[in-house]
Amino acid sequence: MSDYKAVIIGGSAGSFQVVTRIVSSLPANYPLSVILCLHRLKHIRSGFVEALSIKAAMPIVEPIDKEPIKTGKIYLAPANYHLYVELGNKFALSTEDAVNHSRPSIDLSFFSAAYNFKKKLVGIVLSGANKDGALGLKSVKENGGLTIVQDPNECQVPTMTLACMNATNVDHVYSTQRIIDFLLTLD
Amino acid sequence: MVTNEDVLRFIATIRMSSTYDFTDYSDRSFKRRIEKLLVDNHLDINQLSLKVSKDKDFLEKVVRDITVNTTELFRDPEMWTTLKYQILPKLKKNKSIFIWHAGCSSGQEIYSMLILLNELGMFEQAKVFASDINSDMLETAKNGQYKYRFNLGYFDNFDKVIKENPFNYEEPIVVDYEKYFDIDKVKDTITMKQFLREKAVYRKHDLVKDGNIFYSKFDIIFCRNVIIYFNNKLQNKVIELFSNSLYRDGHLILGAHESILGSVANNFDKTKGFYKKKQF
Repeated sequence: MSDYKAVIIGGSAGSFQVVTRIVSSLPANYPLSVILCLHRLKHIRSGFVEALSIKAAMPIVEPIDKEPIKTGKIYLAPANYHLYVELGNKFALSTEDAVNHSRPSIDLSFFSAAYNFKKKLVGIVLSGANKDGALGLKSVKENGGLTIVQDPNECQVPTMTLACMNATNVDHVYSTQRIIDFLLTLD
Repeated sequence: MVTNEDVLRFIATIRMSSTYDFTDYSDRSFKRRIEKLLVDNHLDINQLSLKVSKDKDFLEKVVRDITVNTTELFRDPEMWTTLKYQILPKLKKNKSIFIWHAGCSSGQEIYSMLILLNELGMFEQAKVFASDINSDMLETAKNGQYKYRFNLGYFDNFDKVIKENPFNYEEPIVVDYEKYFDIDKVKDTITMKQFLREKAVYRKHDLVKDGNIFYSKFDIIFCRNVIIYFNNKLQNKVIELFSNSLYRDGHLILGAHESILGSVANNFDKTKGFYKKKQF
């Protein structure tokens, strides 16, 4: 049995192929909850969950407000909402203003997930062109969770992962393949 | 850093100093709103509580700042299209159609609905009521004037809902924006036409404690992206109020990612995000 209950993944520009590779590598009976918080471009606001579903063995949903978080499922933050993890293992949505020009905000999702899951959380930040996620990953670390960033050398846009490495002492800097290998050891 | 205990104490202070009760608001977003309030007002949580307990005007301002206000013209075009072609035609024969926008914020949803009703030739028979906890927002809704640039992106939504002809994409429905809006690009304003602005009845209303204040039942209640700020318990209470305020076969319309999770869901048939009140 793994010590972790949930994996939260943040990504922006250049992260979609990486996310697709990761979710398509996880088996149908993966025993953790996987939460994806991705900045989405306007033209892929809808249809992304369907596209990922085709590739993934695990069920993927855009959670509705107050939906209980279950293991073995992938949750994708809906476009145009912030996604929070509430105490009591539930999601909550919000249409508050964008944070760092982003809604969903990776920081907000990471803060709330870190607070709820504490040391049972793995936080992963992927390729991206802004600093959203850096403070979020820091809070995962401060709450005792494990922190991973995609290797900046491999990122299409390394700004986000570098910002994370600046903000906190990240536990692992991994290539996409090593991220996948690691996630599979939690199975 | 604001702790959960800080939040609880702050909520208690507001409860004792006013009629507002935020006890059953959603934890995370409420906490974040408080943190933002502290930064904006250069106060710590104790100073904020003290000021709220002593200064009624400040308390009202805090309540206005703490409630979230997002709305846009024809947000979620698919929902509006369903309304246009599947729900509203069934109501057309009614002498009156009663509509409540609960948590109407700055009013774009009201104007979207009025435009749609007008396009369907149902404007006159509609009785439209709108409410919000935030009096500033009600004032903005009533005035019906918005930043043009900010609303520019929503003309796409307008086109999709009003102009697109699902029966023949080659022949869009011709509707000029001038029919509904006065646009002043220099002043950066878009103003709703007077006949739209005069239509709805606006009332301040707190979903937490006020019941149905309009002494009417409704054919359609809109409450979109409002109950996401409430916990399950309060959500169910509010849905119960809506259920009691709807005519049978009346529709409750929630936000795209909202749902009824408690047993009160049994009062409704759900299709495509529309909750139709069952007959008993």
